[in-house]
Amino acid sequence: MDLNQSDKTNEFSQLGKTLCWFTKTENANKIFLGLALFCSALFLADFTYHKHGHFFIEEIPGFYAAYGFFMFTLLIMGAKALRFIIKRPENYYGDKSVDSEDYPADQLEQGSK
Amino acid sequence: MISILPTAFIFIAAALVLGLLPKGNVRGVILLITPILAAWQIWNLPAGIFAQVEFVGQTLDMMRVDKLSRIFGLIFCLAAFLGNLYAWHVRDFIQQIAALLYAGAAIGAVFAGDLITLFFYWEGTALASVFLIWARRTEGSYHTGMRYLIIQITSGVILLAGTALLYRETGSITFERMTLGSLGTWLIFLSFGIKCAFPLLHNWLQDSYPAATITGTVILSAFTTKLAVYALARGFAGTELLIYIGAVMTLFPIFFAEIENDLRRVLAYSLNNQLGFMVVGIGVGTEMAINGTASHAFAHILYKALLFMSVGAVMLRTGTSKASELGGLCRTMPRTAIFCLIGAASISAFPLFSGFVTKSLIMDETANQHYPIIWAILVFASAGVLSHSGIKIPYFTFFGHDSGLRPNEAPIHMQMAMGFTAFLCVFIGVYPEPLYALLPYEVVYRPYTMSHVIGQLQLLCFALLAFAVLMRRGIHPPEIRAVNLDVDWIYRRFIPKLYNIIYNSVVKVFIFIEAVIISVIQMTIKGLYKLHGPETGVSRMRGVGAMVMWVAILLGVALISSYF
Repeated sequence: MDLNQSDKTNEFSQLGKTLCWFTKTENANKIFLGLALFCSALFLADFTYHKHGHFFIEEIPGFYAAYGFFMFTLLIMGAKALRFIIKRPENYYGDKSVDSEDYPADQLEQGSK
Repeated sequence: MISILPTAFIFIAAALVLGLLPKGNVRGVILLITPILAAWQIWNLPAGIFAQVEFVGQTLDMMRVDKLSRIFGLIFCLAAFLGNLYAWHVRDFIQQIAALLYAGAAIGAVFAGDLITLFFYWEGTALASVFLIWARRTEGSYHTGMRYLIIQITSGVILLAGTALLYRETGSITFERMTLGSLGTWLIFLSFGIKCAFPLLHNWLQDSYPAATITGTVILSAFTTKLAVYALARGFAGTELLIYIGAVMTLFPIFFAEIENDLRRVLAYSLNNQLGFMVVGIGVGTEMAINGTASHAFAHILYKALLFMSVGAVMLRTGTSKASELGGLCRTMPRTAIFCLIGAASISAFPLFSGFVTKSLIMDETANQHYPIIWAILVFASAGVLSHSGIKIPYFTFFGHDSGLRPNEAPIHMQMAMGFTAFLCVFIGVYPEPLYALLPYEVVYRPYTMSHVIGQLQLLCFALLAFAVLMRRGIHPPEIRAVNLDVDWIYRRFIPKLYNIIYNSVVKVFIFIEAVIISVIQMTIKGLYKLHGPETGVSRMRGVGAMVMWVAILLGVALISSYF
């Protein structure tokens, strides 16, 4: 693949430059902080209205927050453990599978900036 | 008596016409006009049964129009239109024909009023769609296509067997609500289950969709599985077993999707997970739950196509859909990135996006009908959807680590297809009433309540926070080039290996038996040789004189013995 490695931001479109902001290392902390603040606000919002739920557990403030956070973590841990068991080399199924073959170049329209 | 042209025939006619037209944009226009015409016909048809034909003593209902078949017919037309717009650049005649016939067969199956018609179209979808895989024209896609075809055709054969048994039992081939009990109904259920990717029967989906062409996968994602969802909703609504099957379907793919490297396979796992929500809705079976399933299928076809489109556009430009090879593409493919994010937000069911207003119908009804554990599983699975489709797909493709790739933005027709689909995802999310109006039953539901919006946002944003924490601590599993085993290992590796073991053992036993027989024969020959060979006493040559002497002795003995 002869795709250009340069990173001349002035060649990107305006939208590209805007999105680029999210990829910069120096902005990672800002994004994380913003997310954490938003999450805190969502948690506090639970105390401002009367919750309607089908189950009593839904009416505990922050139930969805805790469930989302812990179950997500559990999922990632579970997936990591699963990978340990089922991971195989990319060419495991050989030529009977598309995993280790390149996509036919004549069906691509490659091009780079 | 055929009173109207069945909608499927519009697609078949278009496929026939296509071959007569010159290559290029004219064919592209036909591919776009056909689904519009079909949608127009479906929109204007009143409810009822049309296009009845006599076939070997049976009446086939080729067009049963009611609210359930109509919504599926319409979304299939919309999916065909969007898929064909996305594939505008494709000049491969085989793919164009396959796309038309595949959509036509799926729509034909949706309107089938009897099981025989359903069977014909059911197999039609299998035969037409496999060409979207083979059109990749590689060794791997050939083998994958064969595996796909065998499983799909088997599903049809089981459907036919079930239909025959059901006919013997009830004397009717009408496709209506069934109760599991007899072998016939179980076979039909199994046939639907194969196409719907039930757990353990699911692997054709993750195996084949990443092997199709870039545009082929977008088209494949819409029809087969949602046809199965429709068939289950029509035939087995309220079957409690489906609730548990559906719950398992929402659950296990999220783990596999998390560690899969090929993003198109991640989306296939994600598709499987979304089907689970629909299957739970069918199992619950109340009016609201069926509404939930139908609306979720509608929204799902759009956002899933959008996600496949955005990954496909990346693949068209970079040649790969592997997460380990991608990253940072938002710099030069920002529009595709935005479309992908809209698809990701829709599938994750963020408020104001389509998944939010459709999935909640199913989840609320599951809670209403008092299935707390199933409900908890669905909430967990919703966080799981966010994990692979909401975060993994956009993050590892367009953001994350910079792969150094600077591909061009997607071609304009792909942007149009993605843009239109993205618009629909947002439109449905913001203004769900038109979609609700299309649903099989009247909708009395308000998705936007304070509890619901805050609850959902908490779930998703805290899951995002967990992702951020895990990424920063380096706990999140990295994207690596690898494949992961799944149930298909049984028929791709284990059974062939078992066959080899059995084959080799049988051969060894035969070789042993053969060796024993040969050695017995050899020993017999050797023994006989020892006794009767030229060196032995038995076969020694003796003179005539000796014989005469022995005869004389014998005669002498006889003479002497006669005196006594």
